[in-house]
Amino acid sequence: MSDAYSAAGRARWWGILAAACVIAVLPLVFRDSYWRTNLIVCALNVMLAIGLDFVVGYAGQLNLGQSAFYGIGAYVSTLLIMRLGLPFWPAFVCGVVASALSGMVLSLFAVRLRGHYLAIASLGFAVITYQVLLNWISLTQGPLGIYGIAPPPPVGLPGWQIDFTDLANLFYLVAGFALLSYVLLDQLVRSPIGETLTAIREDEVSAASLGINARLWKVFAFAVGTAVAGGAGCFYAGFVGTLVPDAFFITESFNILAMVIVGGMGTLSGPVFGAILLTVLPEFLRGIGDLRLIVYGLALTLVVLFMPGGIAQALRLARDRLMRASSRQTAGAKP
Amino acid sequence: MSDAAAIFRAVGLSKNFGGVRAVKDVSLAVAPATVFAIIGPNGAGKSTLLNLISGVHPPDAGTVMFNSLDVTALPPHARVRHGLARTFQKIRLFKQLSVIDNVVAGFHARHRIPAWQYVWHGTAFRADRARCRAEAAELLAFVGLSGRGQALAGALSYGEQRMLEIARALATAPRLLLIDEPAAGLNAAEVEALLERIRVLRQRGMAVVVVEHNMDLVMNVADRVLVMDYGEPLFEGTPAEVQVHPGVIAAYLGAES
Ligand SMILES: Nc1ncnc2c1ncn2[C@@H]1O[C@H](COP(=O)(O)OP(=O)(O)O)[C@@H](O)[C@H]1O
Ligand SMILES: [Mg+2]
Repeated sequence: MSDAYSAAGRARWWGILAAACVIAVLPLVFRDSYWRTNLIVCALNVMLAIGLDFVVGYAGQLNLGQSAFYGIGAYVSTLLIMRLGLPFWPAFVCGVVASALSGMVLSLFAVRLRGHYLAIASLGFAVITYQVLLNWISLTQGPLGIYGIAPPPPVGLPGWQIDFTDLANLFYLVAGFALLSYVLLDQLVRSPIGETLTAIREDEVSAASLGINARLWKVFAFAVGTAVAGGAGCFYAGFVGTLVPDAFFITESFNILAMVIVGGMGTLSGPVFGAILLTVLPEFLRGIGDLRLIVYGLALTLVVLFMPGGIAQALRLARDRLMRASSRQTAGAKP
Repeated sequence: MSDAAAIFRAVGLSKNFGGVRAVKDVSLAVAPATVFAIIGPNGAGKSTLLNLISGVHPPDAGTVMFNSLDVTALPPHARVRHGLARTFQKIRLFKQLSVIDNVVAGFHARHRIPAWQYVWHGTAFRADRARCRAEAAELLAFVGLSGRGQALAGALSYGEQRMLEIARALATAPRLLLIDEPAAGLNAAEVEALLERIRVLRQRGMAVVVVEHNMDLVMNVADRVLVMDYGEPLFEGTPAEVQVHPGVIAAYLGAES
């Protein structure tokens, strides 16, 4: 049995290595700025989706406020850079911490609220955050937005400078952080913390009977999941160069949740594919105008109805079928 | 029983649900390496008493002492660290988790992993994982579920689920195990195996509290029996004493006729 576990562990590192290779190659394949921009959006959405999945898919806490944490990371880091003159990376850390802290505050409601009630409370939090960004004009310039946000500063190595005004380099940076977040979350869910969070998701009374302090672990799950969203927000600001509250409207929360559901809740790899699919798909559907919303909605409904485990489930089924087919072949070849 | 001998002691526990007096002024003391049975007709307040002991409900009155420590104000998860574990009358497994992962979840308070190894799995992490898996496999074997580890908990038969709940509770390394109606839904052979396991636990020094509405079932495993009726303690004594106690007989005949 321990062999099976170390085999699964090795397979995972191969998967991560493969992902790193794909990340390295993508900007070489997609050379125009339109697609490179989309690549970066994909990487940002991957961060948002896996962060949300940690809270919703693993800890089972229906958080509809991910857009707010995205926005908090973006605005906090940007304001620190533009108003206080903080360098990018310290501002990045502050943005991540601010997101995580607000996530922890929201999770204290999660202790009392469950299911629909938490969903409504977190949605309310997203609405309030949006309204604050919109109406605190002296700080955020409201709907006018903040302009001229610089990308992350170049990284200087002797004889070689990585400049993040170049979209390929910026993609490497964001995708690198997305991969790092993935590895961190993956390590957490494969540790006893993974069992603890799923225990809370499945049955809190039962979890408590095993010594699990659900209140504490919900705060932890929110802190981690929203910290990742805050990091994505910091990169978003430097990437787009402009911040307007509408980027963090509540519909964004539903988009991110759709990525998690289409990808497969409670798996980390699923939401990665979900995020990529739901970022790229609307681009292809741009030609059909508003009809694309119908296609999008239909696709989502079909997934929920026929493949509730999302892409992750589809991939598992395909893999099992392949393995069965190949074992049948070898069995057939022997006699 | 002398004070020093008891691992667990409840004094004057009461609980009302609206107008229903579910538990009324119940006291009990349980010594290590004994089986303490709580019997009574359905609705007598046995499960409520167990919920008061494990902290699921706060009592309206009374104290719960564990190892001469007052734990009345502690939430359920904190009581586990003092060595208290329980199962549920209505089975509450993690149905989407595998059988072995249900048990491994029970090791929650017993991991020995440095914090940083949660994000970077090192030697201590792997050793802890291996130890938990091995111990979990042992516990599954103990309750007769070896070979079922990879199945989903929800896919087990009713009797198997009951045994898995006991294995999961044992993973917390309790000194006092509370079992609520373990025989419900089990066939005769399964009941016999269960009683046998309870005897083994007692032999290992564990205190076991078994709640049961079927009086005959616990008579040949219990050391002490508390009979409850309408939330009140009716009688406490040895099984032999209980069986001839006129009030108990009346309560049971009244309940069953
Ligand atoms: N959570 C609850 N809310 C309201 N009433 C309850 C609750 N739990 C138990 N009761 C009531 O308390 C009484 C004792 O129930 P219970 O402890 O389950 O009895 P037993 O386990 O002996 O069958 C019953 O009348 C039951 O309806
Ligand atoms: Mg009961």
